[in-house]
Amino acid sequence: MKLSKTISAMILSLILVLGSFGTANAKRLTAAVADWTGGEITCQVAVSILEEELGYKVKRVVFPSGTGLWEAIAAGEIDFACESWPSYAEADTVMLKGPLVYDGETKFMYEGDGSVKLLGTAGIIGLSDYYIPRYAAESLGIKTWKDLNKHKAKFATIETGKRGRLIACPVAGWNCHDQKRLDLLGIDFQADELGTEAAAIAEAVAAYERKEPFLLYLWEPHWFFGAYDMVGVQLPDHKTCESFTEANNWKDCGTAAWPATGWAKDYTMNYGNPETFAKPEHAKAAEFFSKMKFDNADQAVMLVEVKQKNRELKEVVKEWKDANPDKWKSWLPN
Amino acid sequence: MASRSELINKSNHSKNLITYIIIAVVFLVALWLSTQSDGPSKFPKEVTDKFTFTAWVNDGEDYLKKNYRWITKIIANYIKNGYYFIEDFLIDSPWILVASMIVLPCLIAGGLRLGLYSCFVIYFWGAVGMWNESLQTVGLMGLSVLLCVFFGIILGILCSQSDRFEKFMKPILDTMQVMPAFVYLFPALFFFGIGGAPAILATMIYAMPPIIRLTNTGIRQVSEQTIESATSFGSSKLQLLLKIKIPLSLPSIMMGINQVIMMALALVVLACFIGAEGIGGQVWLAIRNLDVGWAMEGGLCILFMAIMFDRFSMSFSKQEATLPSDVQKFYLLPQSWEKYQIARLLEKPLSIIHSIIQYVCIKTTNFVAYIFNFIISLVNKSTANDIAEIISRRFYIIPSFIIFFIISIIDTNIFQFGSFPEEWKLSIRQPIADGVKALTVHPGFISFTKGLRGFVYLNLLHPLDIFLTHIPWWYTMAVFIAISYFTVGLRFALITAVLLIFIGACGIWPQSMITLSSVLVSVVLCFAIGVPLGIIASYNERYRNIQNVVLDAMQTLPYFCYLIPVLMFFGGGIVSAVLATVIYSIPPIIRLTALGLTQVSGTYSEVSRSFGGTLIQTLNKVKFPLAVPSLVVGFNQTVIMAFAMQIVTPLIGGKGLGLEVFNGLARSDTGRGLAAGIGIVLLAIIIDRISLAWTKKQREALGL
Repeated sequence: MKLSKTISAMILSLILVLGSFGTANAKRLTAAVADWTGGEITCQVAVSILEEELGYKVKRVVFPSGTGLWEAIAAGEIDFACESWPSYAEADTVMLKGPLVYDGETKFMYEGDGSVKLLGTAGIIGLSDYYIPRYAAESLGIKTWKDLNKHKAKFATIETGKRGRLIACPVAGWNCHDQKRLDLLGIDFQADELGTEAAAIAEAVAAYERKEPFLLYLWEPHWFFGAYDMVGVQLPDHKTCESFTEANNWKDCGTAAWPATGWAKDYTMNYGNPETFAKPEHAKAAEFFSKMKFDNADQAVMLVEVKQKNRELKEVVKEWKDANPDKWKSWLPN
Repeated sequence: MASRSELINKSNHSKNLITYIIIAVVFLVALWLSTQSDGPSKFPKEVTDKFTFTAWVNDGEDYLKKNYRWITKIIANYIKNGYYFIEDFLIDSPWILVASMIVLPCLIAGGLRLGLYSCFVIYFWGAVGMWNESLQTVGLMGLSVLLCVFFGIILGILCSQSDRFEKFMKPILDTMQVMPAFVYLFPALFFFGIGGAPAILATMIYAMPPIIRLTNTGIRQVSEQTIESATSFGSSKLQLLLKIKIPLSLPSIMMGINQVIMMALALVVLACFIGAEGIGGQVWLAIRNLDVGWAMEGGLCILFMAIMFDRFSMSFSKQEATLPSDVQKFYLLPQSWEKYQIARLLEKPLSIIHSIIQYVCIKTTNFVAYIFNFIISLVNKSTANDIAEIISRRFYIIPSFIIFFIISIIDTNIFQFGSFPEEWKLSIRQPIADGVKALTVHPGFISFTKGLRGFVYLNLLHPLDIFLTHIPWWYTMAVFIAISYFTVGLRFALITAVLLIFIGACGIWPQSMITLSSVLVSVVLCFAIGVPLGIIASYNERYRNIQNVVLDAMQTLPYFCYLIPVLMFFGGGIVSAVLATVIYSIPPIIRLTALGLTQVSGTYSEVSRSFGGTLIQTLNKVKFPLAVPSLVVGFNQTVIMAFAMQIVTPLIGGKGLGLEVFNGLARSDTGRGLAAGIGIVLLAIIIDRISLAWTKKQREALGL
């Protein structure tokens, strides 16, 4: 009795693992979940259209953005990722091939090896800078980044000692080079990487509530600007530096060019595995991506819903889809 | 005689004094050296420039990718397809079918209690909206357990049959078990890409040793007499193995399966870092969004799942107690409540239901068996009888199949069950988040957390960071080598030297010192909190029982769930990283303190008390010295766990080697990640060996 019970329970659990009643194999794509909220929204918009309109089954993998993600896409382990910001991606010039077109205008011509396919613009235009709260800018008289050093003691925390603190670009894989920038520009601040966007924002919110001065790296579109009054410190205009790559051991161009400058205006894009999107069964998906053009205003509204009102991302995207069919219907393949 | 012992005492005393003086001098010199340098100490540039380990690894990776990638890709593809198959089945099937496939085995194996518990677990997965993710985790775990058990039992049998093979496997198994889990993840990533396939393969490496070992010992422990008598009846070697040895070692193998399941679950959840699906990913997303409620939901899903699978697999190796015939058997309540009238009344209907179900099951099974018997007997009479006999003995499995079948028929023809019903959802996310928020805005609480953060950072972490990073590398290295020489021996001193030079030459010396300082601070805090708790537990049995339940639960949780409570109350930052490490690695020190103190036999404390020792004196002078070996084992485990934790703390702001691993992963710089990962392992190994050797010396000195 005992043994038979054991064996039957084991066989049952085996069935659980092995059993299959044969399910239809849906068209399947794997997507990376972006590690900032804006990117998550853009991706959810794309994924929900793929799933609901084009009959796909999209697997979402949590993977940190950065070169690792690009390589995973090139290797075909992830099929696509959304809203890449060119000035953050170090791999784009090496791996993409072809023009980045926005509104019929070629913004950049990539001449890489083509191991990753540029699926088209995501539609979002991004801006990044360092920001301080308006009350601090006014009371301390800070107009540009050049004034930061005078007041560094006001920006210090226990962790940074005498130096000021920058709530820096939170994820190492984004390649912001904050500390390098501060050093090159001679700003005596310490870049504090907090690991996640949410941690950096939480830190900034706490400081704002206490009305303390703080220096924050951030980008637009972001809900933070709607809720809190921030001003940019106007980093020098963006200029590229050819030699500042990993292969060159990060040889910088001094204070003349990146990373001693601010970020370029980012025309963001979606990118994917070339083999996957060359397959005839994925032609519709490829066509959809070439037409997709999400925009800043829509994303900004949804950001407020998701982050400030704490609503579920999927729900918010569904609501937007129901309310604005004219916007996304034009992205659908013919 | 007396003078001699005095002499020994004296020489011991002076020896101790000399040791203390040496330690003090070494420390003072280190302090002086650290104040002399104006920046973190780095390895000489000539060495780090020549020893480009990261570049070698990356070149090697490129070479492998170009030439051998197709092989690993094929393997990975097979596993991936298998996994997708299971996943599709689990997610697309009607939810009632999946639920009954989990509940029925639990009900059969573990009785009514486990059955009800598994209902609750399944309801919880759906209620918090993690139905799909939970099933993905179950699928990943199921497939890896299946593969582990399959290969593990084969290897275990081979080990048991050949001494030479066992000797060959032993060091391999040892290494597999010493390595922290995450170490497998990165090489798996390296060879098999990201996603479920490498997760399963890494899990196989991680979780296989116990089943190999337990199969091997189980078979080897089958008594000589049984084997003798079987051989005398003329069994061949194969028959002996299949009919006698393996069935007799089944309890031991079952124990192995239990361990495999628990280890596989832990690693599968962790594997979200290499892109595996499931609840791990949800918890990671929640941590990324600082959403405590969400993270708690995910953590609880994992915890409940772990307990369920643990009890489920435990129930196979447990012997059922046979009750005297005049005692009513209890199904739900503890058997010890048998003396209460109400309990007996409550159990009565259950017992009736049980006998009805049993009756129905036996009848249906017999009926099915009869049909089979009838059909096959048209062809062959004796086989038919055999088959009928086999079927009629499985009187739980056949009805279960019939239930599955009925559910599928209803689903396809009458009513679509679909996925877990939306209206049953009951999110606890918001209440938790609100509760935490209400607490965290409380001024008293803010000042407490701020004070603790400031205290830990300013008094422990910061000075130690500066101290360790600023001491010249050669000095630290020399101290480590000297310690290994005096505690373990010359050979290990040489090994230590090589390992430390490797760390230095990889150019990660400053980071490894930061990791070391975080670990040391965490361990000190663990001691400060854990030892008193252990002492209380050793004196109060009721408290100890409660504490044991909590500690059991803590040890089944995968380690990055510990980031959640810390994140909840302290936010992100390097101090939070240390606190999370403390929470994760404290159980062994509490347990072993309690164990060590309770084990000190009553006689010693009696004697001490009869000489008029107070409670404190007894504790201080008698119990503690005797409990030292146990304490050191606790220290040792705590240190290893603290090192393992370093890999996930960067998620909430940890620094050091863990951050290097993360950066390596994000930048696709395998060499950098691997070097940092190896660095953590090497530091852990050195400290582990030193503390083990020290324990052994202590034990010998105490004559234990």
